[in-house]
Amino acid sequence: MTARDDRALGELYDRHGATLYSLAVAIARERADAEEIVADALGQAWRTASQFDPGRGSVGAWLATITRSRALDLVRARGRRARALARAAGESGEGLSAPLAAADAPERRVERQEARQLVGRSLAELPEPQRRVIELAYFTGLTQTEIAAELREPLGTVKTRMRAGMEKLRDSLARLLPREGP
Amino acid sequence: MTDHQGYRELAAPYALDALAAAERTAFEEHLAECAACRADVQAFREAAAALALAAPAAAPPPGLRERVLREARRGRPLAGRRTAWPWLAAAAVVVAVAASYGYWRERTARDEMSTVLVAMRARLDSADRLVGAILDSTVGTADLAATGKAPTMRLYWNRARGLVVLAAFDLPPAPSGRTYQLWAIKKGQNPVSLGTFNTAAGGRAVVTLPAPAGLKPDLSAVTEEPAGGSPQPTQQPFLVGTWQGI
Repeated sequence: MTARDDRALGELYDRHGATLYSLAVAIARERADAEEIVADALGQAWRTASQFDPGRGSVGAWLATITRSRALDLVRARGRRARALARAAGESGEGLSAPLAAADAPERRVERQEARQLVGRSLAELPEPQRRVIELAYFTGLTQTEIAAELREPLGTVKTRMRAGMEKLRDSLARLLPREGP
Repeated sequence: MTDHQGYRELAAPYALDALAAAERTAFEEHLAECAACRADVQAFREAAAALALAAPAAAPPPGLRERVLREARRGRPLAGRRTAWPWLAAAAVVVAVAASYGYWRERTARDEMSTVLVAMRARLDSADRLVGAILDSTVGTADLAATGKAPTMRLYWNRARGLVVLAAFDLPPAPSGRTYQLWAIKKGQNPVSLGTFNTAAGGRAVVTLPAPAGLKPDLSAVTEEPAGGSPQPTQQPFLVGTWQGI
């Protein structure tokens, strides 16, 4: 790597590192694992940067997708999913995502804080059962069938909740977040 | 699950990566031929990607940044550094200037990214050419000095690439209507022009000039000539130096 490479990757890290690390902690639930996940994910992004297609989404979304996938791989590889699940289930009502009222750790970037608040608000507007199935899918990587078994709900109910919740989420985020430039 | 409406209901769980394997495969086959469902998936994917921001904020340890850089240094970009890093750097820059909420700015970001990318590629290419021409074991050099004090000049002759790189220091820009001209001189022969150049206000210039093939000069010299240069020197050179290792 040249000094310029360092600078480019450093900028990516400064911009997205905290979000990716938070995501990795939320999925893997171990800080040491989260560090490994973020380093792996950014390394993978770095090596495959030419595959990034800006037409399919933002850099942040791309990095988050890679990070989530690495985190779920690691959790599965260590057979820790059962444990993560048990803990998730234990946090009934609270959910896996950040409670809206909770004060975030000091954020370096106001915009990220605002984006977090918008997403948090959109999630908080969902009925709890809808939010729960979405969070289980995203943060634990469970399929609808697995979620139904976990929650002891009929599969059809889980499908309906997930779809309804995602439609609301899509609509409220589209309404809240401007599509064009600043 | 064969009708379109049935498939349509799979777009949200598909974007969340929550379909069982068999359903996912069937839906992906449908996606290949259904633009409406592809659009649905794209919209749901944006919503799903935003969920990353819903993770409770955790502060990364201070050493993580260095670890990321260290591990990246060990692995080269698969597609080659030249294509890979400008994408990342451009992406970082664009996101930094363009986005408050990076997830919903594809169009703006795409336009800006291509602009930044083109500029960075051009800059990188010229820097690569320059560094590549100088840092080569077969490159000959010549130091040119005036009889008095400054200015000075160093030349690099890269035979393999057919390039001469000129680095001038403390040389005031040529007067209006005049230019500097660099000559290659083989003893007993007429000087051959390597090209004209001028310096910036600070007295510096780094210029890459094409080197005539087959020429093995003993000396190089710089004269001041009328704008556009001359076929042969019209003045005494004010900088002269001997080539080494050429």
